[in-house]
Amino acid sequence: MLFNSIDFVFFYIIVTTLYFVVPHKLKWVILLAASCYFYMAFVPIYILILGFTIVIDYFAGIYIENEHNPRRRKMLLAASLAANVGILIFFKYFNFLNLNVNILCNKFNYHNPIPYLSILLPIGLSFHTFQAMSYTIEVYRGKQKAEKHFGIYSLYVMFYPQLVAGPIERPQNILPQLHKKHEFNYDLMQSGLKMMLWGFFKKLVIADRLSIFVNSVYNNPDMHNGTTIVIASFFFAIQIYCDFSGYTDIAIGCARTMGFDLMKNFDRPYFASNIQDFWRRWHISLSTWFRDYVYFPLGGSKGSRSRTCFNLFVIFLLSGIWHGANYTYVIWGMLHGLYSVIYIVIKPYLRKTPSNKVAATLMRMGNIALTLSFVTFAWIFFRAATIHDAFTLIHNLKSFGAAPFIGDGISNFAQSVLGILLLFVLEYKIEYHPDQFNFFSSPNIVVRWGALVFTILWIIVFGVFNGSQFIYFQF
Amino acid sequence: MKSKVIIRFFVRLAAFSVVLIAADRLAGFALKKIYFNQHVGQFSQTTYAIDSACQDLMIFGSSRAVRHYSPTIISKGTGISCYDSGRDGLMIPYSAAIEEVSLARHLPKFIILDITPRELGIDKSKYEKLDILLPYCEEHPQFLKYIKEVSEFETEKLFSKTYPYNSSAFILANNSLFSKSIEKDDNGYLPLHGFMTKPEMDDYIKRMNNRAKKIRKKIEIPETKAVNYFKRFLSDAAKYKIKTMVIISPTILNNSFYLDNQTIERDLIGKITSEYPNVTLLDFSTDPRFNYHPEKFNDVFHLNKRGSEEFSAIVAQHIKANL
Repeated sequence: MLFNSIDFVFFYIIVTTLYFVVPHKLKWVILLAASCYFYMAFVPIYILILGFTIVIDYFAGIYIENEHNPRRRKMLLAASLAANVGILIFFKYFNFLNLNVNILCNKFNYHNPIPYLSILLPIGLSFHTFQAMSYTIEVYRGKQKAEKHFGIYSLYVMFYPQLVAGPIERPQNILPQLHKKHEFNYDLMQSGLKMMLWGFFKKLVIADRLSIFVNSVYNNPDMHNGTTIVIASFFFAIQIYCDFSGYTDIAIGCARTMGFDLMKNFDRPYFASNIQDFWRRWHISLSTWFRDYVYFPLGGSKGSRSRTCFNLFVIFLLSGIWHGANYTYVIWGMLHGLYSVIYIVIKPYLRKTPSNKVAATLMRMGNIALTLSFVTFAWIFFRAATIHDAFTLIHNLKSFGAAPFIGDGISNFAQSVLGILLLFVLEYKIEYHPDQFNFFSSPNIVVRWGALVFTILWIIVFGVFNGSQFIYFQF
Repeated sequence: MKSKVIIRFFVRLAAFSVVLIAADRLAGFALKKIYFNQHVGQFSQTTYAIDSACQDLMIFGSSRAVRHYSPTIISKGTGISCYDSGRDGLMIPYSAAIEEVSLARHLPKFIILDITPRELGIDKSKYEKLDILLPYCEEHPQFLKYIKEVSEFETEKLFSKTYPYNSSAFILANNSLFSKSIEKDDNGYLPLHGFMTKPEMDDYIKRMNNRAKKIRKKIEIPETKAVNYFKRFLSDAAKYKIKTMVIISPTILNNSFYLDNQTIERDLIGKITSEYPNVTLLDFSTDPRFNYHPEKFNDVFHLNKRGSEEFSAIVAQHIKANL
C-alpha cells in the first residue's frame, strides 16, 4: 500500500483508532495484522518470505542467547545471516549474477544452462532483511536480549510505517517501545500528523512534480543536450531527496501518532560541506548500519590510512550493490567510495575555516556547492536505466550551454522551480534558524492553523496526484 | 483525564476540518472565477469547445490538431465555418469526451479527428491527463466517467473545490496577468513559428534509427481501452450521420511510425475506420510534400506555420470533395 494513496488514508485512520481502542495486551495484534495487510497489498505471496526470515531470526536469536559455546554461537549467527543474505541474493541478485555468468560463458562459447527466473522483487526486501540482520547481530554481540514474544519480534521486522523503506531500525530502539504501553498523547498525535503533512508535501508537491521533467529526460537520454541533462540531474537530486525523506517523514510521523519514536534518517543532506558530512546526513539508518556492521568489523579508521580508505571503499561498494542488481548502482557506490577516499587523502591539506565571518560563509557555500555537484554527478548513474544511458548522458554534457528543453509546457517547469525554492527556504530556516518562524507550532492558533491550512491547500493546488511509487520501494 | 484529551483532540480536529473546508471552498471559488474568465490560452479554448463552439466543422485531437489545422484556411477552402478544439498532450480519450459533450449541444456538418498511431498503444498518461476535464464536471456530469480513468478515487476527490484546478495555478496566473503577451488563437489554431534545420533533422534520423534498432524486437500491443475510445468517437459521429475524416497528419520522416514500431496500431486505424461508411482515413505520414522538409516543421513532431498552412489547404481540398 502506498502512503500517497486514498487507501492509506482509510487504512491509517482505522488502524490508529483501533490501536488506541483495544487494550494494551492486544495492541501488538492490531499492529501486526495491519502490517501484514499493508505488506500484502503489494504482492500477497511475498508475506511468506518475510514469514520465513522472521521464523529463522526469531529462533536464531533465542538459540544464540542460550548458547555459551562461542563457536556454536558464531555458527548460529552465520546460519541466520546466510539465510537472510541468501534470500536477498536469490530474489534480488540471481538474474543479475546469471546474466554475468552468461556473458562469461558466451566468451568461452559455452552455454549456461541456468535459466533466468521470472520473479518480482519483494518490495522493501533490502530494508527488512537488514533490520532483521541487525537483531541477530546485536543478540550475538550481547547488546540485545533475545525477544521471546514471537508476535512482538514479528512486529519488529514488520512494523508497517517503516516496513518497506525504513528507517532501518535497531532492536534496542524499537523492541522496548513495542512492549511499552502507549496511551493516546495529544502532543505526539499533533506533531506526528504535522510531520506526515510535511512528508506528503515533499513527496506530492516537490518529488512527483520534479519526476515529470526528470523522467522525460532520463527516459530519452540521447534526445537531450547538456543544459537539459544538468537541470534534470539537479532536479533528480532534489527529487530523490524529497521522495525518500518524504517517505521517512510520513513513516516517522505515522509511528509517532501511535507513540513510537523512529530514528532520524535525513538531516538536510544538501547542506553538507563535504562528502563525509553528506553521508552523516543522508540515509542515516543505512550509513550507520554499514558503519556498525561492516566498517567497524573491518577495522574502521583504526588502521593505516590506506586501510581506512579500503574499508571506506568497501562499504560504499556494498552500499551501491545494496541498492540494486545493476552496474549503475555499483558505479554510483564506487563513485561515492572514490569521493570519500579522495576526501580522506586531501583532508589534511585543506584550508582551515577562516576566522573572518564573510570568508567563512563564502567558503562554506563553496564547499556545499562543490559537494552537491559531486553528489549530483553520481546521481546520473543512480537514475540512468543502464550504464550505456548514463554514459550517453555524460557524453551529451559537452553541449552544456545550449537552450534547455523545458518539457510539457512552462507550467510544470515553473512549479518544479518554485517547489525547489520553497524547499530551500524551509531547509535553510531549519538548518540555520531552527527556533525561528516555526509557524506549525506557533502558540498563536491563527498562525498555526493558517500555516496548516495553507500547506494543505498548497498540496491540493500544486501536488501531483498520480499515485506514483516511492523510489526506494524498489530496494 | 485520557478521555478528556481524546475529546479535546477530536473537537479541535473537527474545528480545524471546518476551517479547512471553508478555506478550500473559498480558494476553489476564486480559482473557478479566474478559470472561467480566461480569454486566452488553452483553458479558454477548451471552455469554448465544450460550451460555445457551434461551427460547421469541428477538429479534434492532440497538439498536432492544434498546430496543424488553420480554421481560416480551411473555411476559405471549403466555405464552412471551422473550430479547432484539439489540446496539447491529450489523446483519444480526451477527444472522445469533448466530442460527446459538444455533440449533445450542437451537431456540426463535418468532423476531423487528428490521430497518431501511438494513441492506440499502451500509455497511461493519456488517461492521467484527463484531469484537465475536472473543472467542467460540475456543469457536465458526462465527464465523470472519463474522470474515473484518471484514478480510482478521482470523483471522490472532487469533494475539494480547489482540486479541479490542481496544477493550473501557474497557467491561470500567467494568462490573467500577462494576457496581452499571450498569442491569441485563430479559432483554436495555434501555429508554431520556428523551423528545423537539416542538421537537426539528420540528428533526429540518426537517433530514430538507433531507437529502431533498440526496439526492433518489441511488439506493440494496441490497448483495448484506447481502441474502444477510438471506436466510441467514430460511433458517436456515425450516430448523428456526421461526415468524419480521420487524419494522420504529416511527419518529418517517411513513415516514422514504422521506426517507432507502431505498424500494428496504424493498420488497426485503417481497419476500424473502414467499418464506418461516414468515415474517410487520410494518412499523410508518407507524404513527400512534407517528409524530409525540415523547413516546414517546428520540431520533430509538429509542423510550423508554413507547413500547417500548406497542409490546411490540402485538407480543405479533401473536405470540399467529401462535403
